[in-house]
Formats: sequence, C-alpha cells, structure tokens
Amino acid sequence: MIVPFGHVMAMAMALFVLGLTCVLLRRQILMILIGVEIMLNAASLVFVAASNRWQQADGQVFVIVLMAITAAEVAVALAMVVYLWRRRRTLVADDFNRMHG
Amino acid sequence: MSETLLFLIPLLPLLCAVVNMLFGMRLPRLFAEILAVTGVAGAFVLTLLFWGYAEGEGTRAVLFTWLNSGSVDIAFALNFDRLAAPMTLMVTGVATLIHLYAVGYMHKEEDYARFFSLLNLFVFAMLTIVLGDNLLVLFLGWEGVGLCSYGLIGFWYHKVENARAGTKAFLVTRVGDVFLGIALLWLFALTGTLSISAINAEASSLAPGVVTALCLLLLLGACGKSAQLPLMTWLADAMAGPTPVSALIHAATMVTAGVYLLCRFFPLVSLSATGMLAITAVGALTALYAASCALAQREIKRVLAYSTMSQVGYMFMAVGAGTVAGAMFHLLTHAFFKALLFMAAGIIIHLTGDENDIHRMGGLFRRGPVELFWVFLAGAVCLAGLPLTGGFFSKDGILLAAFTHPDPFYKVFWAIGVLTALLTAFYTFRLVYLVFAGEPRGDGHPHAIPLLMRWPLWPLALLGLLGGGLNLPAFVGGGERLHHWYAELAGRAVSASHVVEWALVGLAVAIAVAGWLAAHWRYRSYRPPQDNLVSRFLLSGWQADALVDRLFVRPFAAMARFCSIGCDRALFDGVLDGVARLATSWGGLIVQLTTGRMTTYLSAFAWGFLVLLGWFLLKLVNGGGH
Amino acid sequence: MATVLFYILGFILLAATLLCITRRNPVHAVIYLVAGFFALALMFYLLGAPLVAAWQVIVYAGAIMVLFLFIIMMLGLAPQETPAGPGWQRWGPLVLLSLSLLTCSLLLIFQDPAASESLGGYTLTPQALGEALFGRYALAVEVVSFQLLFATIGAYLLGRPLPKEEQK
Repeated sequence: MIVPFGHVMAMAMALFVLGLTCVLLRRQILMILIGVEIMLNAASLVFVAASNRWQQADGQVFVIVLMAITAAEVAVALAMVVYLWRRRRTLVADDFNRMHG
Repeated sequence: MSETLLFLIPLLPLLCAVVNMLFGMRLPRLFAEILAVTGVAGAFVLTLLFWGYAEGEGTRAVLFTWLNSGSVDIAFALNFDRLAAPMTLMVTGVATLIHLYAVGYMHKEEDYARFFSLLNLFVFAMLTIVLGDNLLVLFLGWEGVGLCSYGLIGFWYHKVENARAGTKAFLVTRVGDVFLGIALLWLFALTGTLSISAINAEASSLAPGVVTALCLLLLLGACGKSAQLPLMTWLADAMAGPTPVSALIHAATMVTAGVYLLCRFFPLVSLSATGMLAITAVGALTALYAASCALAQREIKRVLAYSTMSQVGYMFMAVGAGTVAGAMFHLLTHAFFKALLFMAAGIIIHLTGDENDIHRMGGLFRRGPVELFWVFLAGAVCLAGLPLTGGFFSKDGILLAAFTHPDPFYKVFWAIGVLTALLTAFYTFRLVYLVFAGEPRGDGHPHAIPLLMRWPLWPLALLGLLGGGLNLPAFVGGGERLHHWYAELAGRAVSASHVVEWALVGLAVAIAVAGWLAAHWRYRSYRPPQDNLVSRFLLSGWQADALVDRLFVRPFAAMARFCSIGCDRALFDGVLDGVARLATSWGGLIVQLTTGRMTTYLSAFAWGFLVLLGWFLLKLVNGGGH
Repeated sequence: MATVLFYILGFILLAATLLCITRRNPVHAVIYLVAGFFALALMFYLLGAPLVAAWQVIVYAGAIMVLFLFIIMMLGLAPQETPAGPGWQRWGPLVLLSLSLLTCSLLLIFQDPAASESLGGYTLTPQALGEALFGRYALAVEVVSFQLLFATIGAYLLGRPLPKEEQK
C-alpha cells in the first residue's frame, strides 16, 4: 500500500495538463510532438495504476500496445517533420496555414 | 320587323370595325374604306328605317342577358325612344360624312386599317351610350369611347406628344368615369336595378340629399367626357389627333355624351335644385373660360377645341336651366357646324402645307378651293350666332331659358352666357380674318385636296344654316318641332312674354354684330400677335395644366418617390440589406476562427475539453446538492 | 518507504516535464524529458509493473526520444533558438486554461470515493504479462505489428528525397 489511487490519478492528470500546455504553447512542430508524447505517458501512468488497482494484467498490456503505437506514430510524424523542413525550411506551426478561411 | 333588329344599328359599325381590325391590312384599301363607310352609313339608314319605333313610348329591345347572379339581372338592352332617336340619327349621319371626309384626308396614311376600325368602334361605343337601356351598357359605351378616343388621339403615336395627349385625355376622363362609377353603384344599391327607365321612375322616392349627391356625381362624370371644368385640360391637347377624329369625337359626339347623360337622367337630376344650379354654373363658367382662352390661341384647331368646350358649356347651361329640348337643339346644331368647321380646318391645314398656326396663314380667300371660304363662313356665322342661322336660334333658346328661370340667380348665368356670346363672335371672326384675309404669311406648300374632302362639307353647311328649323321658337312663328317631339322628356317649357323674347333676340343680334365689328376693326389688317401677360395666361388655358400639375401630379409623384425610394429602397431594401450585411459581418468575425493553423484548432480542442469537464463538475455539484 | 519514493519520483517527473516544456533549446527539452521518463519508469516499477518499466526506458526513453534527437540534429535545429513568441498575451490564456483544466479534473477525481483506495502490493510477473499479452491479446499484438509495418513504409516514403526541382 503505497499511494492512494486518487493521488496517482492526480499526478497523471497534472502530467497530462503539462503535455497539453506544451502542445498549445509551443510554436515549433517538434515541441508540439513532444507535448503529445508527454500526454501519452500520462495515459500510460493511468493504465498502470488501474492495472494495479484491479489487479489485472490488462492495463499493462495496453501500455505495451500504447508504446508500440507511439513508436509507429513518432516515426511517421518525424518523417513528416523532415518532409516539411525540406519543403518549407521552417518548422513553425503557424506558417502552415494554407487551409485558412 | 322584330325589335331585336334595332341592335343592328350599333352592331353594324362594330362588325365592320372587327373585320377591319382582323383583315383590314390584307384587304385591298378601297375595300376596307368602303366597309368602314358602309358600317356607319348602314346604321344611318337603319335608324331612318326604324324611326317609327321611337314614337310614343319608344321601343325596348333585349339582345341577351349579360349578367345574372343573385339579385343582379342585367340584360344587354336598347331603348330606342324619342330622346335617343334624333341623337342616333345625328351621330350616324355626321359620322358617315366624316368617314367619307376621312377617306380623303387619310389617303396617304399607311396604317388605315387601324384608323378605320377605331373610328367604327368609336361609333359603336357612342351608339351604345345613346341607345343603352341600363347603366352598365351605357358605362360600357362610356369606357369604349374613352378607349377609342385615346387610340385615335394618339394615332400617330410615333410622335411622343401625340401619345401623351392621348394618355392625358384618357386619364382626365377617367377621373370623371370614377364618379360615374360611384353613381352607378350607388344607384344600384338604392334601387336594386340599373335600368335607366326604372331609375328615372323611382327617382322621386329617393331622399333629397341623395338625389343632390347623385346629381353632382353624374355631373362630374359628364364633365370628364364633355371637357367641362374641372376636367377640361385634355381637350385642347387632343387636337394632336387627325382632323377627322377631332371633327367626330371632339365636336359632335364624345363631348356631347356628357350632355346626353344628363338629359337621359333628367327626371333624376331635375329633382335637385342644388344639382341643377351646379350644372348651370359649371356650364356657364366653362363657357366663359373657354371663350376667353379661345381669344388667344394660335393654332386653328385649338381655337375650335376651346370653342367646342364653350358651346358644350352652353348645353350644360340649358340642362341646368331645365330645358332638355334646348340642350339637345344646341347639341344638334352645334354638331353640324362644329364638324363642318373642323373639316374645313383640315382642308385649310392641307392648303397651308400642314401649318397649324393661324398667324402664319392668311390670304386663303384666293388660294383655296372656291367653296372653302363660304362653307367656313357658314360654320362661323352659326357659331357666332348671327341671326337666322341654326346656331342663333339654339343659343338664343338657351339664353332665354336661363333668363326665364324661376330662380332669379339664374340671371347671373344668363349674363355670363351673353358675355360669352360676345366673346364667341369676336374670336370666331378673328379666326376668319386671320385665316382668310390679307396676304399669305406662311410659306408652306399646299397639298392637293381630294374631292372626298370637299363635298361632305356642303350638307353640313346647309344643315347648320337651316338647322334652326328644328326647333323654331313660337314667337317667330315656328312650330317648336323638337320640343313637341320630345313631349314629356323635353323638360321645362320655355316661354316668356313677347316683349322679353324680342328684347333678348335684339340683344343677341346686337352682340353678334358687335363681336363681328370688333374683330373686323382689329384683325382685318393683320397685326402680329401680342405677347403680354394676359395673352400668355389665356393661351395656356388660365394655366390649368400648371395648376393640375402642382395640385395633383407633383404630390402624387412625390408620394410615389417616397414609396419607391423612401419606403421600398430605404426601408425594405435597407432592412434586408442590413440583415444581410449583419450576417456577413458576423460571418466575417466567425471565419477568423478558421485560421488554418493547427495550434488554433488544438486550442479549440482544449477549450472544449474544459467545457466538458466543467459540465461534469456542474452535474456533480447539482447532483450532490439534491 | 516506497510511498516517499513514489512522491519524490512524482515530483521529479513533474519538475522535469515542466522544465522540458519551457526550454527554448529543443535538445535541452528532450534531455529533460528523458529524465522525466526515467522517473516515470521507476514509478511504474513501484506500481508493480517491472516489465513495463523496462520497456518504458528501452522503447520510450531509448528509442523514441533518441529518434527525436536524431531529427533535431539532422535538421540542425539546435543550438538554433526558436523565435520568441508574442509574449504573455499568448501564453497567458493558455496557462489559465491549463490551470482551470487541472482544477476541474482534480475536483472531479477527488470527489469520487474510489480515489482514496490505496494501491500497491501487487506485482505483475513477466510470465503473467506474457500469458495475457500473447494469450488474450494475441490479436492486438498482430495488429500492432501490422501497424509498425505501415509506419515503416510510410516513414520511408515520406523520407524519400524530393525531386530535384522541388528542392529549395
């Protein structure tokens, strides 16, 4: 018996909010992606805590799946970042607004 | 012969009009012209044939039931009685002569089918007014003459002024028609029938105020068609039409329709002393007004138009003074000599090369056909009322009726009539001298005068000069035939002591001669027209057009402008445009959300997430509070 | 003892993440994040997920973050500093948003009675995890492997050099 469930959830929530802030705040696409990573980790924490709470393996299995998916997503995302860099030489998210109006 | 054959009298011109309308341009020209003349001439012959039907109580004939709905049962019916018969004869006879004249006058006109069909249609409509037995049939004819008048005045519509003159005529007479329509509906509401004879029979059972009001409404309706005050502004401009049109419509027939209406409803209108006074006043004042305007006119047909207005004023005076026979007498003689004068004016215009201004005419005594001066003089002396002409006796009869009226106020009207007679003589001889005397002042090239334009004038001249025989007063030994023919329809019997009658005759003669001498003294040798304030005032018809413009046209235009620009454009369009602009501006605000930037959309996600959480929280709080 | 450790690790995690998101230099940000992930891995271990903790270090901190560093280095984004933003007018509302989100969510979390249950005392052995993973969730594993294949192909395609005329 280490921590109350609520505390772990609170910590995960704080982590999530930090990640969200990073996504909203930063202007470079890379930093936005890092923010997404942080949010995903917060989700992982919740799953592990839940797995512990209900004493089942399912939460941790999902964390593994999450990691794999994150890896795939990061690969493609970073490939896209490279592509954008090659096309436009800038990684500021606000510069990619051709779908405005 | 069955009495429905009476319908052939109006229907014959109608038939010829329709045939000319449909096939006129495809028929050979001569055929179309003969058809047109036959239409009216046939009606004339039929009127003579059926003359016996008019004696006694007259003959009523029904062609078919026009409207039958509930309590309304209106038949298309004719009433060929003693009032209608001479009028019909005059209309068809004069129309025949004018049609012959028109064949010659319009021989260069390319659009002859339209002209002759309109002319025949007009005669049909006029006969419908004269012969119609109920108000609806009469109203049909009333509107029909208005329509044909519009079409004929604006016949040469390629010139905008002609079209405008036609429109003006139609609109001004329309105002009168509105009053007639009101009277029609009111009479129907009061008596449940539109039959004229029934209304006249029931007239004495109506309330006096109602009778006066109806009389005034009928008077206003008559004023419209007869170009009396206040609806007279159209007649002078109507001279834009071809001369046969002026001769037929604006001398003999349409302008007398108002008089005829009042004569038809004489049993009704004579019950109201106020109404009769109004009729006489309108007639007298119009006579004076028109005579004064005729003094200053420069165009020959405008002089004759104002002269017509003035003479019709005399007819109104006669009706107001109570003598239908006197009014119809003057109507008939006036038809003869005024049509004659117009047709002669047409010849004059041809001779001077389409010159209308009398100040640029002159010397036609030697230039024109030999009889032109004499027939014109015949018409002029009738108009001026020189003794022993038809015009003299008819005008004198009217003045006598006004003088001998029981109401002493009518002597004022008599005085106005006498003054007008003086002016009439003056302007008539002014016209004669300026046109015929002296040396030619214009330089137009004369057109050839077809024979058909010349000889229809002779019968009219004879009728004008000898027309006095129709109703020769008793004190000169005549039989007063017209008066006896009308019998109980004739109105008040006009008689006075022989002294009074001879005194009035002497006064009339003196006035006519004085007018002639004054014109002789002033116009025998030519003097150029004066251009001072008075002459300009008279030339413009006492500025009547300007007055109408200021009183009615401009406020109406202002109101239309207000409705169109103020209400429609500013208000409705403004509201709608404002709403549209508001929507667009709001849209413009909202579209700023679609920046195309990912960060904006992510922020939107986050805010939405906050809202969601907030809602859960709220639900929690509310749920916990229960 | 584990409780205290857990809270210390939690503090480290949050601090590292906070530092990460406020760095201008992306390399610094990534490094701080890696530190945070280490702390997170230890938290996993304390919560009875040793295998997951290991994978967190290997896959997340070791592969994914390294990939980030690769890209940063490849594109030469560091030590170039990202351009300064418009200032507190921009991040003011966002920080406000985050704080309100945090507050709302914390309120929601702590009103639930389940929040006071205590965790701990449960450790999932790798054998049990493997049985669950390849037993009940075998299909998920296959699907995830497909996904990795797709990602590989996609990344390769995206990473191909541009045709000559499109290169600036």
